[in-house]
Amino acid sequence: MVSLMRNLLIALVLLPLLSGCVASRIEQSRDSSTGIEADEAIVLLGRASYNDKQTEEGFTECIADVLAGGDNPIRLIGQNQFRDDLYPWFEPRTAPTSADELGQLFTEPGVKERIASVNVRYLAWIDGDTITVDKGGSMSCTISTFGGGCFGMSYWEEDASYEAAIWDLKTMTSTGQISAEANGTSYLAGLIIPIPILARPGNAACKGLANQLREFIVGET
Amino acid sequence: MLQFRALLRQSFYVTAMLLFLQSCTTSVVVEGTVPTPLVSVIPARMGVYYSDEFRRFKHEEVFRDSGGWHIDLGKQNLRFFQNLTKSLFAEIQEVHQPPLTTEEMRDLDGVFIPSIEKYGFLTPSISGLKFYSASIEYRVAMYDKVGTKVGDWNIVGYGKSEGGLFSSDEAINEATVLAIRDGGARIAIELIDQPAVQAWLQSRHESFESSAGPPGVAENIESSETPENVDGVPDA
Repeated sequence: MVSLMRNLLIALVLLPLLSGCVASRIEQSRDSSTGIEADEAIVLLGRASYNDKQTEEGFTECIADVLAGGDNPIRLIGQNQFRDDLYPWFEPRTAPTSADELGQLFTEPGVKERIASVNVRYLAWIDGDTITVDKGGSMSCTISTFGGGCFGMSYWEEDASYEAAIWDLKTMTSTGQISAEANGTSYLAGLIIPIPILARPGNAACKGLANQLREFIVGET
Repeated sequence: MLQFRALLRQSFYVTAMLLFLQSCTTSVVVEGTVPTPLVSVIPARMGVYYSDEFRRFKHEEVFRDSGGWHIDLGKQNLRFFQNLTKSLFAEIQEVHQPPLTTEEMRDLDGVFIPSIEKYGFLTPSISGLKFYSASIEYRVAMYDKVGTKVGDWNIVGYGKSEGGLFSSDEAINEATVLAIRDGGARIAIELIDQPAVQAWLQSRHESFESSAGPPGVAENIESSETPENVDGVPDA
């Protein structure tokens, strides 16, 4: 009994170190040169539509956290604040769908001045989601007056696919796109206590996309 | 016998739990930001009437699977429309229920009356989708200075929100706020472009220019608009 408890304790301590493998790929296409001054900012906007697909707010926040930190932090304006400041022009129904529409948008009263007041240089539209492509196995947990536990093994494979389209508000053009894809399989092993071995492709896609976005924005002139 | 009693007791507890869960009501008081629209101003001084029903709008619904819902969106909706109309028209003044007297209409060019026709929402357990959604159908009516209807329009605002396992009330709140914003956006952008509104503004402009003409002409026009000839705004 003591050795069993000791083994369980060791398993719990080692648990955070266990993580599944993730395969990821980042691609970039550049349409024009970029560069950002210290006082300029970018806005990350999750693309929302009225069908089932919508970029998770958590993913956009993850990218914002990565961009705001690190050696070369970039000044960010929160998407909720930006949408409030530019209301009603960035609601799901009214937001521009391409950089070509920026010219028309800037003719609306107050829009140009409001954007200039917060010194936003780039908009990055984040689109995509993480879906479960496969799952299987089985796990059962039971509890009784004599004790309990979980037994079995289940797995699920997730595919994260995201794209960032970057618009330059100074030139009112599209500067390029970055895509991030990540794939990984997570496992849940039932050995009395459930032991998760999580592959987090969404997290991998976020970090990959954010770091590439930073290089892209700061990058070539 | 003992086993039967234990089984009976367990069945009773399970039934009581199920009944309790079903009778649970989720109450949501909708709250959110109230942005100021950046839109073209309609050059008119408008009286705005908000009915009691509009001010205190509540929605109640019971679902067999997810219990009762009580959603209070009146306050947020009112705050939003007060801000919206302030930005949409050159001047606004809240008025009581029409008809207004000639004296009350003296400093106004017309009356604007928003109302909520319908509110609805869906949860993932009902729709089978991964998000919560809400929709609000507004009806907005405009009347001119003499009570003639300029036009009325039905506008539907829609909003959706992803929800966590234990945050259904927050998701409904967010979806409703987005639906209010969506409806407000359509009103803010599209109202001024409505042909009836454009025709009304044009006729007001022509009327203003005529009244600013030579003194002889101005007197003739003014005499046709003496108080006894102007009716108050009819019932909404």
